[in-house]
Amino acid sequence: MLWRFFAAKGVQYALVLLFAVTLNFALPRMMPGSPLVFLAGEDVGFMTEAQRAQLYSAFGLDRPVWRQYAIYLGNLARGDLGHSFQQGRPVVEIILSRLRWTVLLVGISLLLATLIGIAWGTAAAWRRGRPLDLASLGGAMLLESTPSFWLAMIFIAVFAAGRGWFPVFGAMTPGAGLSGPAWIFDVAWHLVLPLATLTLVTIPGMFLIMRYSLLTVLGEQYISTARSKGVAERRIMFRHAMRNALLPVSTVFMLNLGYIVSGATVIETVFSYPGLGRLLFEAVLARDYPVLQGTFFIVTVSVILANIAADLVYPLIDPRVRHAR
Amino acid sequence: MSLLIYLVVVSLLLPPANAQSSTVRLALTRDEGWLNPYTYQSGYPGWNIMTLVYDPLFYPDLNNEPIPWLVRDTRVSTDGRTWTLTLRPNIRWHDGRPLTSEDVKFTFEYAAKVTHSRWTPTTRNLDGVDAPNPQTVIFRLKQPDAGFRLRTLADVPILPKHVWEPVTTVAAARAFRNTVGSGPFRVEEVQDGQFYRLSANPQYFAGPVKVREVVLPIIRDATVSFTALQAGQIDANARTLSPELVAQFEKAAGIKVVRGAGFASTILQFNVEHPLLKDARLRRAIAGAINTTLMVRLLMLGYAVVGSPGYLHPDSPFYAQGLKFEGSKAKSVALLNEAGYLDRNRDGIREAQDGTPLQFTLLTLAGNPVRIRGAELIRTALKDVGIGVNIRVAEDAAIIDQVWPEFDVCKGRRFDMAVFGWSAPVMSRPTALVDLFHSNCQIGAINIGGYKNPQLDRLGEQLVVTVDPASQKQLAAEMQKIVAQDLPIHVLFYPDTIMAYRQSAYGRWAFQKGQGYVTKLSFVDPPK
Amino acid sequence: MAEAGTSRVREAGGAPVTALRHRVRLGSVGAVGLALLAILVAAGALAPWIVPYDPEVTTGDPFEPPSRAHLLGTNDVGQDLLSELIYGVRISLTIGFLAAVVAISIGTVIGMVAGYFGGWVDAALMRLVDVVLVVPFLPLMLLLAAYLGPSFWNIILVIGILVWARPARVIRAQVLSLTSLDFIDAARALGASPGRILRRHVLPGVLSLSLAQFILAASNAILIEASLSFLGLGDPTAKSWGSTLYYAQVRSAFLSGTWKWWVLPPGLLITAAVLGFAFTGFALEETLNPRLRR
Repeated sequence: MLWRFFAAKGVQYALVLLFAVTLNFALPRMMPGSPLVFLAGEDVGFMTEAQRAQLYSAFGLDRPVWRQYAIYLGNLARGDLGHSFQQGRPVVEIILSRLRWTVLLVGISLLLATLIGIAWGTAAAWRRGRPLDLASLGGAMLLESTPSFWLAMIFIAVFAAGRGWFPVFGAMTPGAGLSGPAWIFDVAWHLVLPLATLTLVTIPGMFLIMRYSLLTVLGEQYISTARSKGVAERRIMFRHAMRNALLPVSTVFMLNLGYIVSGATVIETVFSYPGLGRLLFEAVLARDYPVLQGTFFIVTVSVILANIAADLVYPLIDPRVRHAR
Repeated sequence: MSLLIYLVVVSLLLPPANAQSSTVRLALTRDEGWLNPYTYQSGYPGWNIMTLVYDPLFYPDLNNEPIPWLVRDTRVSTDGRTWTLTLRPNIRWHDGRPLTSEDVKFTFEYAAKVTHSRWTPTTRNLDGVDAPNPQTVIFRLKQPDAGFRLRTLADVPILPKHVWEPVTTVAAARAFRNTVGSGPFRVEEVQDGQFYRLSANPQYFAGPVKVREVVLPIIRDATVSFTALQAGQIDANARTLSPELVAQFEKAAGIKVVRGAGFASTILQFNVEHPLLKDARLRRAIAGAINTTLMVRLLMLGYAVVGSPGYLHPDSPFYAQGLKFEGSKAKSVALLNEAGYLDRNRDGIREAQDGTPLQFTLLTLAGNPVRIRGAELIRTALKDVGIGVNIRVAEDAAIIDQVWPEFDVCKGRRFDMAVFGWSAPVMSRPTALVDLFHSNCQIGAINIGGYKNPQLDRLGEQLVVTVDPASQKQLAAEMQKIVAQDLPIHVLFYPDTIMAYRQSAYGRWAFQKGQGYVTKLSFVDPPK
Repeated sequence: MAEAGTSRVREAGGAPVTALRHRVRLGSVGAVGLALLAILVAAGALAPWIVPYDPEVTTGDPFEPPSRAHLLGTNDVGQDLLSELIYGVRISLTIGFLAAVVAISIGTVIGMVAGYFGGWVDAALMRLVDVVLVVPFLPLMLLLAAYLGPSFWNIILVIGILVWARPARVIRAQVLSLTSLDFIDAARALGASPGRILRRHVLPGVLSLSLAQFILAASNAILIEASLSFLGLGDPTAKSWGSTLYYAQVRSAFLSGTWKWWVLPPGLLITAAVLGFAFTGFALEETLNPRLRR
């Protein structure tokens, strides 16, 4: 039974990967416009035919499409994501330098949002049907409906441009050459606003799931049994209900781990935060095929890995699933 | 020996007589690779920043006139084809090696061989470069070249031969990280997508560098960069200030705003090969219906100069005095009626004699909100005189694909009209009118509308081989008159160059006419 | 990730819906949602009569602060912002509506076909759904939007082809429970063609569920449109709320202080529209989805 399950999942993920890799290759090439100006700079109009040809061949763009695809797959297999058209740097190097900022921002916000969501969801479920619960529910739905970029704009207008409490752009003070605690403080100071925005918009999802699964568990037979036996409500909540209710939350948490890498394009853009999401957006605008492909590839792989992790871990932590098998 | 150490220690402890500012933070618009000649990206400010690290033989002064930089002495033969330059003595690369005529010869041969969009084309007219001795370079030209001093000598940065010799392919050059130059600054730190840090070159041949360190944060978003300036996170900005912020910044404490003419242009580009738009009367009628004065007031809040029909900015030294476009809605209506463009089927859109409606697609770039608004104003204005316009906004690459396929004018064009623009350098060189309007697609390399006029072609061919400035001006004036008559493009306006900076951090910025303060001259005086 | 409401609704699945089942009176939630939508739709429908100015015409100076003449001030070319926002209802709701039509049409057809035919057809279509659900949403959207170019219809298309997968899955489940019913067997036995059975018997059974999914997709689509427009990948000549925010951002609204009347109102309107759709959709899904009823 189990191996069939994993075989099916494996096929699914392989398909996703193939789809992403092919799309990756095809889409940029279907985009209108030539990458020439990014290869050569703004005065490209003055170049002769031979000079253009030299550039195209230097970047392998003169080969037939199927050859380019084969080369692309081969390089991918060897972990070579090519060089950025725009910057000339290896794509792997660019992605790595951006990755840490994204992991910092999205990772911390996911952790914070999960913890806050669990606490808030539990509080609401504890007081289910009461004003606190209803207000929480309304608040969560409202937050869920708020455009994240708009929230970010307001934060910048008030706290950065207005009050000047926080920096306006970037992940650290440029060229300050700080180290040790000063550097950590500087990075943290730059992180506050984007982190706050991202956390705020991630909380509602976590809250709603926590509250929902708690209420579902509380409705189940064994809880009623415990209740009829006279077990204290507080004990039921924390000993029995919460343990089971945390399962769906942890699944969502793990799936979201995959999105850590894809970053938060919109929020990173508003705060000029040098993460992967912003890199992707810049690459789209600049037609930087290798960077586009590389980023999209990394993002897809990480999402797939997170899915696999969730698939593997879920049966281990959920006794009901384990027994069913 | 001990005396020497003593002197060094004292000189380190005492502030130097010619005080050096400590750090200046100047925001860039985008990533500029490793800041060497083959990896920087943008014509402005990328080239300007790159020349803080490398030196060309000449350098544009504040009036965009090339002045000798690495060169002490220049002799041009009477036929204008042989240029003999003598280098200044004691110029050294950042690694301590001397800069010699061998490096110069190597650079120009390298640019000819390893394609660079900006310099390789200018080497086409070179017959050869000789280095008879370490101080002397001789350029042999195939024919005299009006733009040689500005577009070649004052533009191509000299590369250290001993560093670049092993880098032989385009791909390798574009991935090459070395930044050993001869300029006033060395590259100390490159943080991908975040910032560059340059430090002053203490041995710079032209004299003391006025700033110890320049930090160049990359801020892609214009608004963010101005916010950072106001908040004191940066001291200067390579971008020209948005019109809506000028009044606010002029009032802000500690911030100084400098305004001047801007040599960038915003134009309405016609496809002159279009079956209807090939008629100059129709182009004149369209131009006349557009109220460019209103455009300057609404879009630029007055911080722009209304377009001149001959393309060149009134402040350009080559501007044909008295050239002015006269048009009005009434004149346009009269012109259209007279030329037989009438609304025969009463649908509000005029038709040509053969019944084709005057309905056009107007392209504009998605990344440029001011131009999108400009396109909307054009649509409204043309609707008033019975001409229909559909605006198509697309991403830069998609627009270029239609207006200027593969950046090669010889590949033709697939558009009606476009709101387009050229950057400042296209205004400051005398040969711009030839690049823009010559009918041969090899010579008129940016004649994207496919304009043809044999008389203008002849004047242009004369202009490119004319070295005497007075005759250059004369020829340029005649060409502008022809352009104003035929109107292959309609210049809407030239946005002013408005530069803001924090005075407390650094106040010795030099303002280059039409371009701004991102110039080497802001940090170092010209060599004497 | 919880960004711009794109993938977060997918991740959370139907959780918020069922969460409401417990002791919150669905009727009132649905009523609030419907009321929000009714106000917005009315404003959009009556726009030509209630706007103070034509939003396409310059009626003031650029960047005017609020005044009696212009209650919310003017934008960067002197057009009345209040009028622009009222007309924006039309564009934003229309895009939300049409994108949801595209998504639900695809989702319903695929869900029905997969559920009815079963076997390898089902397996293949469901793998496709899985693929779409796993491929990172926002990056793909950026790629597609940039590739297709910014225009009204392209935005609808991009959103439509990215949002259909979850409805397809829900509808397939519904079809599976329907096809086990007797009357479908009877129709089959009488020799009705699959096309006829799908149209006559299955479609009516999933329509109400499609409606609930449709409304949820619309709320999602409005958020996505706003995000795309804000990033400059929408149609900047259409007066949607997202494009109003785009111009506010590029013309320095949060530096010059104009954000209080240029950025706040469109954001609140987007939130109101999304919330209206979400409330209505959740209430509907709860009442209509048999799997959520016990």
